[in-house]
Amino acid sequence: MPFHSPFDIQARPNRLFAQALSCLLFVLCVGLYLQTSAKRHHENSEDRVVPNVHQLMGGIHASVLEPAEEDDYLAPDNASKWELFRHSMIWKDTVASGNRFFISLLLLVPAVILALHIGLFPYFGAGFLRFVLFFDKIVALSLLPILFILFGIDEASKIALIVIGVAPTMILDVTQMVKAVPREQIVKAFTLDANNFDVAYRVVFRQVLPQIINSLRLNLKPMMLFLFAGEMIAASDGLAYRIAIMRRHMGMDVILPYVLWVAFLLYLIDLSLRVLNRRMHPWFQS
Amino acid sequence: MVSVLNNPPEVFSNLQKDQQSTAIRIAGVSVSYPVGKKHRKTILDDLSLEIEEGEFVVLLGETGCGKSTLLRIILGQELPTSGSISVAGSPVERVDARSGYVPQKYSLFPDRTVLDNLIMGPETSRYHILGRLKPGFRAFRRQVREEALKQLQHMGLQASDAGKYPHQLSGGMQQRVAIAQALMMKSRVLLMDEAFSALDPGTRRSLQRLLRSVWSELKPTVVFVTHNTAEALYLGTRLIVLARTGHSDACGSRVALDMKLPESGMSLHRNGKEFMDLVEHVESFSCGVSHETISNLGETI
Repeated sequence: MPFHSPFDIQARPNRLFAQALSCLLFVLCVGLYLQTSAKRHHENSEDRVVPNVHQLMGGIHASVLEPAEEDDYLAPDNASKWELFRHSMIWKDTVASGNRFFISLLLLVPAVILALHIGLFPYFGAGFLRFVLFFDKIVALSLLPILFILFGIDEASKIALIVIGVAPTMILDVTQMVKAVPREQIVKAFTLDANNFDVAYRVVFRQVLPQIINSLRLNLKPMMLFLFAGEMIAASDGLAYRIAIMRRHMGMDVILPYVLWVAFLLYLIDLSLRVLNRRMHPWFQS
Repeated sequence: MVSVLNNPPEVFSNLQKDQQSTAIRIAGVSVSYPVGKKHRKTILDDLSLEIEEGEFVVLLGETGCGKSTLLRIILGQELPTSGSISVAGSPVERVDARSGYVPQKYSLFPDRTVLDNLIMGPETSRYHILGRLKPGFRAFRRQVREEALKQLQHMGLQASDAGKYPHQLSGGMQQRVAIAQALMMKSRVLLMDEAFSALDPGTRRSLQRLLRSVWSELKPTVVFVTHNTAEALYLGTRLIVLARTGHSDACGSRVALDMKLPESGMSLHRNGKEFMDLVEHVESFSCGVSHETISNLGETI
């Protein structure tokens, strides 16, 4: 195989080589970690900063099969692994964070609808766009104390933080998508006797929906970021709460699996949205 | 050629005026846009036209002379700075279903299959956004689908194309579907904005033949914008050339030539000398003319 420079734009690496290349950095990271861990454990066998494989397995076991608190439900001795997992620390935290995350996601639906109206109806644009543009510049985290004062330290403040943090950007993004729909399409729809809401929901919304889903995919991480900020400051459960607690005890054997678990969950949601988009909108892929 | 040119517009139109009613009336329409803080650029200058029902009017002119602007005004997409427009007797203030529309690009909804594009008009016409919940929607949809399939075949497309998305069709096929989509609405006015401009010559000719045969059969009022003189002469029963009256921003376009063409189509061979002479003659009007030239039109011909 002839050697191609990595800076050759016209290079055509074969599939196998490209896949191997895509795994390379993962392998390097794992290798580097194991080497660092081995080195530290050679110097101090009780090291907890870079846990070795054995410690990590212990941390994963504790997270996945043991309850979070002593007074939590204790599964009987003959309970199945699934039963143990359902009452485990990671499950409890995932459900708590998941609830907050998906409620926030639902609350973004009105934001998308508002964006559709801002982009399409001139009076909505005139009324809302400047306000949203300004609101988008407010650093959401700076509102956190206000939210805690207003909503208390319960769920509402954390959900509000996510929505306030993500919604303005999402609204501006969707507004641009709506404005980018060719004018000809809108005119054409009116000549087909569509009314304003037909045009909005049966023409424009349908056309921008795949882009909205893509925008949502890009906003998954900011959403999780705001969720983590809220949970780390005031929560009694949740993935970020657990990470914050474990930090106090230098529990890297739990923190690292949690970090990877969160990344895996986000990857899974992203993948689901991508597949959903491809299935629902075959026309969009081309 | 003589038979064509010996029929000055006024004489020809007077003969038929009694039998026909006006489909589109354009009265003293001017369009100008602000350029900077003090100046305005005039696009159309005091334009008046009457288009009879069943006429196939082709608007011709150089780029920027206001052909598409005039079409958008007839459509209701833009409002004139002064003057008035009426379609089918009532004034045009917004886009509605009185006119069918076939643009050059984005003529179909990309998220709908060919069949769904075709049935969208009748469907929205009868059942608006929440209408799908009403009883009878499914039966109506079945009925319209059958009609759409017939229309599709009428346009020279296969039934197997019905399930395809617009991006899976060639440019020519897309425009066939777009014409069918407009015809499904049974609009008496069809507005086409450089609808065939992006097509290759072969496809363009076959679509011209198709459009001509559709017009002969249904006799809708067509306003067709093009910058191709040969296409204009082949398609239209009336040719209107717009041209600017001067070079300054204050000089908008007016009708430089308003010529009736035989309803049966130009019998001249498209590549023949007479046809080419006629093309050259018409093109001389679109390159900026004075009002004198307009008033001397009859003598010129």
